[in-house]
Amino acid sequence: MSARRDLLEQQALIGSIQPAVHVPQNWNYEVEAPLFKAYAHPPHDVGGQFDAPILYEEKEEEQWEANVYVTCEVLGWRGVWNSEERRRRADNDLGYALYLGIPYYGRWIMAAARMLVDKNHIALTELIEKIAEVKARNAKK
Amino acid sequence: MSHSHKPGESGADLPHAAPTVEEITDFEVLEIAVRELAIEHGLFTAEDHRRFTEWTESIGPAAGSRLVAKAWTDPAFKARVLDDAVKACKEIGIDWAEPTGFGTPSDYMNLRVLEDTPTLHHVIVCTLCSCYPRPLLGMSPEWYRTTNYRRRLVRWPRQVLAEFGLIIPPEVEVRVEDSNQKCRFMVMPMRPEGTDSWTEEQLAEIVTRDCMIGVALPRPGRTADVHPVHKARHPVQE
Repeated sequence: MSARRDLLEQQALIGSIQPAVHVPQNWNYEVEAPLFKAYAHPPHDVGGQFDAPILYEEKEEEQWEANVYVTCEVLGWRGVWNSEERRRRADNDLGYALYLGIPYYGRWIMAAARMLVDKNHIALTELIEKIAEVKARNAKK
Repeated sequence: MSHSHKPGESGADLPHAAPTVEEITDFEVLEIAVRELAIEHGLFTAEDHRRFTEWTESIGPAAGSRLVAKAWTDPAFKARVLDDAVKACKEIGIDWAEPTGFGTPSDYMNLRVLEDTPTLHHVIVCTLCSCYPRPLLGMSPEWYRTTNYRRRLVRWPRQVLAEFGLIIPPEVEVRVEDSNQKCRFMVMPMRPEGTDSWTEEQLAEIVTRDCMIGVALPRPGRTADVHPVHKARHPVQE
């Protein structure tokens, strides 16, 4: 089989598991080699995949999005995380459902929150309490 | 399909349990929580955040437009741009080391400017994420970040360019450069005919952001990139 045909078949398989909720998955006992390779494919490596034309639009930036960009960059500036762990691991290696399903900067801020907890800069309970506090503060206005 | 109706937004049609006075999304809450916790724990200061925000507000495609216009009128400068673009940027007041002294944490200080010729057209993409020459062009447009553009441009470049209204004749080669975190690209389009007597300022006006991404060509009278705009719920405060 040609390398090109292999590639096309591989991309069709990757397409079939995006999002994975469209395929019944019950911890299969066996996974055929091509499907294994499709599972191992990183979700963010999308170059060459099929898609239909869309309207290419601009998006006016939300205040929270502008703040997220700066927060993530400043965490890098002050050495809390580096570009590699942030991009390839934290922002991209999320599985298809999260990678394709949530907003661009939504991924960034979720990645930052997880990193702060993973590195023990903050405790998970502290984050949960802070979220509750921020919600309460904004609801009272 | 338009992006204006994303799955998450359809929730607006569902009945709400208890309406809150101020509507605030989960991402807005998380953004505030993470920023405040990071400051409280001394990971960075509010002043760091303010300084970086100020730099972010200072960048935009006008710098790239100036670079191209100057290169069009000054062959020696153009040669320096093609030789070492980061160094040449300093001549138009753009220092890639800003705002930290080592650049932004996610923009590696390496830029290559791609010169179009009568037989070669360049267009840029970042198939893995959304790498973009921020110090020169500002923040990337939303469509540049979409999986759709990233998926299709590398495989069907002429079709995608045609959707932007740009038809490249078959005899002109189309070269797609895939940006990455170690190397950024920017397109230097050809100076259009009918602009011989123009000043640098006049030339800069027609070198729009889309021309430097490679999805449009500069021409007299074309001074803006026109796309549909998805409005923000809570836009950035001026």
